[in-house]
Amino acid sequence: MLARMLSASILGIDGVLVRVEVDVAFGLPGLTIVGLAGSAVLEARERVRSALRNGGFELPARRMTVNLAPADLKKEGTAHDLAIGIGILAASGQLKVQHEDVLLLGELALDGQLQPIAGVIALVDAARGAGIREAIVPLANGGEAAVVHGVTVRPAATLGDAVAHLAGVRSLAAQQPARSAVSAPAGEIPDLEEVIGQSSARRAVELAMAGRHALALCGPPGVGKTLLLRAALGLLSPLGDDEAIEVSRIYSVAGLLDRRTPVTAARPVRAPHHTVSTQGLVGGGAQVRPGEASLAHRGVLLLDELLQFRADALEALRQPLELGSVTIARAEGALRLPARFQLLAAYNPCPCGWRNADGGNCSCEDGAARRYAARLSGPLRDRIDLFVTLGEAGFGARRTGSEPTRSVAARVCVAVERQAWRAGRPNAELSMSELLASGTEAGVAARLETFGRQLGVSRRRLVLALRVARTAADLEGVDRIAARHVQEALTYRPAKVAP
Amino acid sequence: MIGVSDAGPLGGDPRDERAASEGQHHARGDWRTLDLAALDVGAERAYWIALQTLPGMGPVTFARLLHAFGSARGAWEAGERLLPLMARQAPDTAAVLRRLLRDGAETVARRVSRMTMGVGGVILTALDNSYPRALTDVDPRPAVLYAAGDLEAFDATCVAIVGTRRASGYGRAAAAHLADELGRAGAVVVSGLALGIDGEAHRAALDAGGRSIAVLPSPLGRIYPPRHRELARRLVATGGALVTEIGPGQSIGRPDFARRNRIIAGLASAVVVVEAPNRSGALLTAQAAIDYGRVLYAVPGPMGASNSEGPNRLIADRQADLITSPAALLHQVGVHRPSGPISVASLSESEGLVLQTLLRRSASIEELLEPTRLAPGAVASTLTLLEARGLVTSYGGVTFHPTVVARRIDREAVKADAPSASDAPA
Repeated sequence: MLARMLSASILGIDGVLVRVEVDVAFGLPGLTIVGLAGSAVLEARERVRSALRNGGFELPARRMTVNLAPADLKKEGTAHDLAIGIGILAASGQLKVQHEDVLLLGELALDGQLQPIAGVIALVDAARGAGIREAIVPLANGGEAAVVHGVTVRPAATLGDAVAHLAGVRSLAAQQPARSAVSAPAGEIPDLEEVIGQSSARRAVELAMAGRHALALCGPPGVGKTLLLRAALGLLSPLGDDEAIEVSRIYSVAGLLDRRTPVTAARPVRAPHHTVSTQGLVGGGAQVRPGEASLAHRGVLLLDELLQFRADALEALRQPLELGSVTIARAEGALRLPARFQLLAAYNPCPCGWRNADGGNCSCEDGAARRYAARLSGPLRDRIDLFVTLGEAGFGARRTGSEPTRSVAARVCVAVERQAWRAGRPNAELSMSELLASGTEAGVAARLETFGRQLGVSRRRLVLALRVARTAADLEGVDRIAARHVQEALTYRPAKVAP
Repeated sequence: MIGVSDAGPLGGDPRDERAASEGQHHARGDWRTLDLAALDVGAERAYWIALQTLPGMGPVTFARLLHAFGSARGAWEAGERLLPLMARQAPDTAAVLRRLLRDGAETVARRVSRMTMGVGGVILTALDNSYPRALTDVDPRPAVLYAAGDLEAFDATCVAIVGTRRASGYGRAAAAHLADELGRAGAVVVSGLALGIDGEAHRAALDAGGRSIAVLPSPLGRIYPPRHRELARRLVATGGALVTEIGPGQSIGRPDFARRNRIIAGLASAVVVVEAPNRSGALLTAQAAIDYGRVLYAVPGPMGASNSEGPNRLIADRQADLITSPAALLHQVGVHRPSGPISVASLSESEGLVLQTLLRRSASIEELLEPTRLAPGAVASTLTLLEARGLVTSYGGVTFHPTVVARRIDREAVKADAPSASDAPA
């Protein structure tokens, strides 16, 4: 007898529906799984056998064949256990399924308990896309799965509970969708008023956080680069509802989701150490996993000591900075992982850190310093909207009176709302034509060209400058970009390298 | 190793070599006691040029040969008997000498001459009339120089501007400012074409329409550093000159950098040290300037800045005069700035305010807030405008300096009224 169940598998960060076909026939007793099953899937044989027996069911002494279709898709993970187990019961006549078209997800423990799995949001979402209206998921994944609208999610504690529901004996309760929890971002975030002086850098932070612009701070050690970047996190705007689900979906696939608060309004902040591999940064691996760039999707990728990162890892960031996604080429085809993060970075100008600082004592060899600075390649440089070189606060710096985060946040909030209302996207994502259409004072476009020529900056830099200028205008609360905004934006171009 | 003991101690530094060999008449290598006028230029020239191609031949050794054999021709004809007098021999010196003797001095000299002309240069021996007169004070004197460009530049008022390769923004601005004033006053700026202060001085002199001489640590055909190739080309094209004592095709080493500094000091009538940490090559130039009786100036820097340790100590030890302004330097070297202030298109109020503040003292955005009472955004915006107009520059991105053009603006055009409300973002 043949039974068909529904399960799903992860491909990149997307779910793909998998049909689990189970055939129980006369022959030598045994359980065979076919359909490009990975090792974790093949081990399902042992888990399902024990779970069925310990759950009080009978393991038919027949030849059982499980096919996972589509057969050309490589399946990994343990999410198929439940569908295989129930498929065997149905095919052997122990269960007459009353509820057809139910997505079955879960890993079986040997005693029949359902264990949580990774990527539930994407898996359930794939089912919703295929018109499936109901899903049974492990109890621990319930809140997470219910994030997907339009699918009734029924969490089950054991194989037995799932069987009872499907047989129509005892219905499983539907999980209520969780409300978006507002949680404070993790870690201590310093207040901007703790930053002494550095008004230029504080202004750049304000612009960056208002328009989600990529920001790089350069300067000698100890001038407050890291403090500024951490304080900048206090200006992050909350995630929109759709954005929050996108983020949870990625975290769910990566197995990093906090199951108690599956959806939060806090933007993710990822600060990988500079020893991270290229794969760790942008994703990849035999079984593709999202990298830090994708985990920072809709949030912040904070790279302290930017130039200490491996050169190939840095270059790999070019694509996500440009397109908002990472493409990973595999033998089976290319996978696209979303990675629309805001880059916040800090670096020293040379290995010792004191290059070009007035009165500084750089002890680096010229060649070494030049090679170090060259790690920030031209193409990468041209994808960072704001550059600020920090000097020491100096004798003239005001020791007090730095503006607190609270009052900067008020301005940022207004600017963020203006952007949401205008384009539904932050200024950092607008194209040249969108920027010009957003309103400029007469002659600003021509001025931009002139400045570009006089200052010797690239066309790409001019687009970045216009984006920043748009944000400066938004912070000021004016509709049209004026020359002064463009001029200010151009101040934050990378410092020219002194010969 | 027969004969090495006769030849005096081994050593790379010409100064050591000279000091150690003093008193041994047959082995002395000083130039002061040589009577070059007694030598016949026509007969000697080829031998002078040919002998320079011997590996290990330097100005001290060459003077020693002249002392020992009376002339270069005499040394040449002595053949391998000259070897014991060479303090620094390369492993192949003897073999090369045999080959040179076989080819003949005329042939070797023609070959060197052809190679020099191939890169647009000429050969100047210390016997030639066109040999820079100022170098007669230099000891050890370069026996043979290879030069490209306009040799008349050597006869003008030459002022050397030297300093570290790792210059700060302040040092660069100071070098550029001095070189600009000198260039426009018609003085020739001499330096070593190195990165940092040297390059800044050459460039500013050329930008001001002036002339400049670069003393290279490398052969004419191999400009060092390569990044300054274009600068070297410009320098020759605008009536300046390149000069070196390294012959065509010779390899260069660390001592060559130190040795060329004495030529910089020798060519100039005054030497200005802009920025130089302890043990900087620029301090060798300063010492040479003192030895040759050149006027030495130093640009003071902040206490504690390693780049200014050299010049500050020269001032403190009364070895160098402190430079307070380019005008004082021009006055002391006897040149005059011809043109008056230039005019620029009128500046806006905030531009005038920021520029006037910077003309008093270079400053960061932070330091401009207080005196201009502008918002950070407005200061940044104004600086971009001034940069685009070529009036302000920033080397590292932190401190902004007025450019040499800005210093020539009529002060009247730089108004310093209160900022208007329209300049400051809300």
